[in-house]
Amino acid sequence: MITVCRIEELPPGESLRITDGVPAPIAVFNADGTIYAVDDTCTHQDASLADGWLEGCFVECPLHTALFDLRTGMPTCAPAKTPVRTHQVSVENGHILLHISVGEPA
Amino acid sequence: MTTFASESPNTGEAANADEPSSLISTLPGDYYTDPAIFALEQERVFETMWFCAVRAADLTKPGSFRTVQVGRESVIVSRARDDSVKAFLNVCRHRGARLCTDESGEVKRAFQCPYHAWTYGLDGRLIAAPNLTSMPDIDRTEYGLSRVHVREWLGYVWVCLADTPPSFEEQVMGDVIDRLGDIESIDNYAVADLGLGRRITYDVKANWKLIIENFMECYHCATIHPELTEVLPEFADGYAAQYYVGHGAVFGEQAKGFTVDGSEGFDRIPSVSAEQDRRYYAITVRPQVFVNLVPDHVILHRMFPLAHDRTVVECDWLYLPHVVGSGMDVDRSVELFHRVNQQDFDACERTQPGMSSRVYRKGGVLVPSEHHIGAFHAWLRERIGRLPVG
Repeated sequence: MITVCRIEELPPGESLRITDGVPAPIAVFNADGTIYAVDDTCTHQDASLADGWLEGCFVECPLHTALFDLRTGMPTCAPAKTPVRTHQVSVENGHILLHISVGEPA
Repeated sequence: MTTFASESPNTGEAANADEPSSLISTLPGDYYTDPAIFALEQERVFETMWFCAVRAADLTKPGSFRTVQVGRESVIVSRARDDSVKAFLNVCRHRGARLCTDESGEVKRAFQCPYHAWTYGLDGRLIAAPNLTSMPDIDRTEYGLSRVHVREWLGYVWVCLADTPPSFEEQVMGDVIDRLGDIESIDNYAVADLGLGRRITYDVKANWKLIIENFMECYHCATIHPELTEVLPEFADGYAAQYYVGHGAVFGEQAKGFTVDGSEGFDRIPSVSAEQDRRYYAITVRPQVFVNLVPDHVILHRMFPLAHDRTVVECDWLYLPHVVGSGMDVDRSVELFHRVNQQDFDACERTQPGMSSRVYRKGGVLVPSEHHIGAFHAWLRERIGRLPVG
């Protein structure tokens, strides 16, 4: 488990890229108050989803507009075909906590 | 019988020290035909001065953009997320591909190079690129798009490609003040609040200076502008409105408005003064803008010099918002200056081939009502560092 940041440090619409203490970079999003975490690297080409555009509970890759559902990690349109892994997050005592999933993507 | 004796060939070299005192010389012909001189002008005029690029209202929302040619550079002018207008060189910082090939359009949220997908935010910052996260030493501002200075005035976006731009007040507003006497005189027309009634783009096969020189004088008016001299009878005398500081040409008694047939125009722009009513004012803002002011509308030309013998002119007719909003018929109003433009640009195109004639090697002459054009020539020579020999 990793402490990401204080909740007020990730306001709605913002994202963070976590690289320390994780096997692969993870993107954490605040989608209108709900916190999501997924693998940061787009499964189509090496780009950071934390640099992408948040729309509701979807993130669009900044490079080729692949769209991922943050709840499931599933791509909803081309060019991405493979899902990104999702990771559990919780908020405790004003901090965002990240529980890294080690399993295969959904 | 030949009259061209070999010892005194008539090569038209009259525009010299021995010419009559009522005549002064124009620029030599090569100023209008030599690509090397045009290159100097691109570098030392268009890329260093404030250049009127885009009508601000054409950039309707964040992501709207237009590309324009300024000197040797293609420039993207666009509206950012915070509604401010920004301008960038239209060149990807990676391998130099042109980012936007369209003249205008809209991006959703970023400019993306179609070559390797380097992606820039509307503020120019590098947002994403393939493998960018594995190159953490790339500064995203440093490798963002190259910014160009912008300034908004009269509802237009002016750009300057110089590292340190000249004073906008001195260069741009100064030309207006030199013509009108003060800045309030143009403020009265509330140009930024007017709406676009019509835009016509002219592709003129002539050097940009021929177009400027034409606009600065009215010696030709009685010959090629019958409709204009009908509305502005004093133009038949050959003295342009630009000849006297603060002078506006008075409408003829028969003219109800500034229209092709002298018929009624539209409501006077409310802040136009009583002295400005029923008058026409014309201003040249160097290096590439003409503004015409009449009580019910404003005509603004932006020139885009593309080559030594080619200039694209974008002309906007601007009216009070209710005139544009209610769809009133602006045809007769537009038609007057559209005809003037066609007549002028035809004359410029007729002149361009003569610039490379041997008879024009040392140029032509300016009559007294055109002598103020000499100041434009002196200014240009100084700017491009080519002072007359001897």
